[in-house]
Amino acid sequence: MSSTHIAHPLPTNRFSFPRSTRPLHQHPPHSISFRSRPAPLHIRSALNGTLSETAAAMSLYDLLGISETGSLLEIKQAYKQLARKYHPDVSPPVLVEEHTQRFIQVQEAYETLSDPRRRALYDHHVASGLHLAFAARRNGRFDEEMEDRGEWKDRWQSQLSELKRRSVQKENADGMSWGARMRRERNGV
Amino acid sequence: MALCPFAFSGNLSKGLVAADAQKHTNLSSQWIHGADLPFHPFCKNNQVRKNTTGICATLSERGEYFSQKPPTPLLDTINYPIHMKNLSTKELQQLADELRSDVIFNVSKTGGHLGSSLGVIELTVALHYVFNAPQDRILWDVGHQAYPHKILTGRRDKMPSLRQTGGLSGFTKRSESDYDCFGAGHSSTTISAGLGMAVGRDLKGRKNNVVAVIGDGAMTAGQAYEAMNNAGYLDSDMIVILNDNKQVSLPTANLDGPTAPVGALSSALSRLQSNRPLRELREVAKGVTKQIGGPMHEIAAKVDEYARGMISGSGSTLFEELGLYYIGPVDGHNIDDLTAILREVKSTKTTGPVLIHVVTEKGRGYPYAEKAADKYHGVTKFDPATGKQFKSSAPTQSYTTYFAEALIAEAEADKDIVAIHAAMGGGTGLNLFQRRFPTRCFDVGIAEQHAVTFAAGLACEEIKPFCAIYSSFLQRAYDQVVHDVDLQKLPVRFAMDRAGLVGADGPTHCGAFDVTFMACLPNMVVMAPSDEAELFHMVATAAAIDDRPSCFRYPRGNGLGVELPPGNKGKPLEIGKGRILIEGERVALLGYGSAVQSCIAAAALVETRGLQLTVADARFCKPLDHALIRSLAKSHEVLITVEEGSIGGFGSHVAQFMALDGLLDGSLKWRPLVLPDRYIDHGAPVDQQMEAGLTPAHIAATVFNILGKAREALEIMS
Repeated sequence: MSSTHIAHPLPTNRFSFPRSTRPLHQHPPHSISFRSRPAPLHIRSALNGTLSETAAAMSLYDLLGISETGSLLEIKQAYKQLARKYHPDVSPPVLVEEHTQRFIQVQEAYETLSDPRRRALYDHHVASGLHLAFAARRNGRFDEEMEDRGEWKDRWQSQLSELKRRSVQKENADGMSWGARMRRERNGV
Repeated sequence: MALCPFAFSGNLSKGLVAADAQKHTNLSSQWIHGADLPFHPFCKNNQVRKNTTGICATLSERGEYFSQKPPTPLLDTINYPIHMKNLSTKELQQLADELRSDVIFNVSKTGGHLGSSLGVIELTVALHYVFNAPQDRILWDVGHQAYPHKILTGRRDKMPSLRQTGGLSGFTKRSESDYDCFGAGHSSTTISAGLGMAVGRDLKGRKNNVVAVIGDGAMTAGQAYEAMNNAGYLDSDMIVILNDNKQVSLPTANLDGPTAPVGALSSALSRLQSNRPLRELREVAKGVTKQIGGPMHEIAAKVDEYARGMISGSGSTLFEELGLYYIGPVDGHNIDDLTAILREVKSTKTTGPVLIHVVTEKGRGYPYAEKAADKYHGVTKFDPATGKQFKSSAPTQSYTTYFAEALIAEAEADKDIVAIHAAMGGGTGLNLFQRRFPTRCFDVGIAEQHAVTFAAGLACEEIKPFCAIYSSFLQRAYDQVVHDVDLQKLPVRFAMDRAGLVGADGPTHCGAFDVTFMACLPNMVVMAPSDEAELFHMVATAAAIDDRPSCFRYPRGNGLGVELPPGNKGKPLEIGKGRILIEGERVALLGYGSAVQSCIAAAALVETRGLQLTVADARFCKPLDHALIRSLAKSHEVLITVEEGSIGGFGSHVAQFMALDGLLDGSLKWRPLVLPDRYIDHGAPVDQQMEAGLTPAHIAATVFNILGKAREALEIMS
């Protein structure tokens, strides 16, 4: 697991939590360089896959198991319950990975829904059909870089097709640049 | 055993990422036994092999690379790019691997620039595969990454002579090969030259391609923008390849490790590599689809397409605004991608200028280079298996280090002293200064013109700027020196390293002209130390000169071992005063800078034949020590001025003074010894001195010749 320590907004005065020395992985450690990142690659990609599935499948309310009109108290209770259930330290080793993902989702759901302003925004989004809950979260620069590279090919392929399109346009248009004039002369136009 | 088609290096990086350091050392054992692997020598087994002894030796002991040069069957069949045309992409990959090992083993025997060449192996292969050099012009900025280019263009057998006297140049050189279209050594010139070649092609009605490869470091120089500005306007067809490896300075690191590249441009280029806007937009689109459901799929697909078009269309505002069509970023180590793009662009008529942003890693494929802070930019001979460079231990340090230490001592005493350099923290020694005074050291990127005017601006605010720029690089900033500094008499101090002949780097880096172009400026104080202690004193002198600009030059190389001033703090010299080192008669040698040492050696040679020479160290070229010159002129028959600079420098100033003073109206014979009126090719310093005619033997022979003792002259020279 990641070795960075991230402070988390768990309300510690509300309940006692089996304090773990292992820090909770939540936000991406932006300062870690590509090479020295200790966490294995495969956990990341699993996390990615599931996150987007979840995003597609359920809303934050479904995730916490409450209705959309739930009160703040209900949200907190649901969160506590689920956090206790899915925390990696209390999960059986076999389920650690899956539970960690869940835990993070629950965490994010709580963050959004417990803040009245953010909850209002989220409700508005759901109503208007955009499901941004898990969209922009990414798991670290490392992944960003790997994903970036994967997307590069798409990008330059579309750039190449655009170049072709433009070149046809350039040939047909009556260009006034020096280069255009020379090309016309060279092609005998 | 699994044969993987990726280059050795690719696996290594994935290996480092997918496994921790522990596993990495396990894997290294396979590379030593490379000879046992069936054909692909760089392949690594994707499974982790357990270390049988159970104990992992440290990386430096194990050695992560071959100790013997692996066989290069495919490269052996390639003498010129035309031999590459029938290769499949898999073979191209193999060729790249072989080329990589060839470069590493060649440089290990000769020394040279390693990291940059390793970063462009795949690019070089792709370029020569797709384009038809030499009809198609391929230009390499700076030229130090052109080793693979040279190997592929008929010079593989000459690689052992790289950077040696009479051998291959370490940079591109037109007189060396038709495939080297443009000589380089200083940076940021390829887009300009490439545009010139493209326009020349258009004027002549030819149809070849022009490809200019330039690095992100070279992009920090203004000339690159001047060129792009013009290219966008003229709209002539050409391809600019931006080789982005996030390396701007040499090294792009301080003494404690790698740093981020200086400059705002580097962050702009990094942002181009990140895909966040597209990704987020995609996620939104996905979210919309899933939320809305089935029948809306076509709309969702359209959204995706628009998103892609929107983002890729605004690929790069910076270059697009200048009129260059931007393509990228592209993985610079993926030959398939590179060849696909280059082929597409080549086959498209009427493109105008196109910029392909290629992302590479300096030192790629050689683990020691990848890990080093300086990416093994410039290396001496080394052992390929361990990466250890064979650095001869000298009893003294380099003038560069002494300069840095002197400046640190001055800066300790005076908090207004700051240092400026142009992406040469290692070469100027200012990385040492930077460690001591991090807020008082300025790396402006490869921008000498800006560095000088920036220093001028600092001087206006009563800061004491020291501009440490190599003598030959200061050439780029000459107008700024004249107009911004000297004309306004601003107290900027110029520390010109690499003055005189520089050895293996050759004429592009030779500091032949600085005495000439600095001493002709009305307000400039020009001085040169004859040894390292003098250097300390001159740094102190320059720090003390606060009413006008000053400069001092010192050569490449190590000190002589003279005693250094206590605490590294020099004492300011009396301006315009030289010194006599050896008292003699009849003939006086008046040396300037490092030439004084040659004079002393010449005096020793001559003494064996019964003649005692006077040797004097002028110290200052401007203002000259008039009293010293008068006394030498009046008490000797012959006065020989010696300097390691071109005509128009120290000797000319002495002659001018003597003529105006009437000293040449008597029987005095004056002779100048300067660098000859031609460029001295790269080679060993000793060979260059011989070629230039400035060795102690030459000086001694000159003495005898003037005295009419031709026989002694010939004896000395043989």
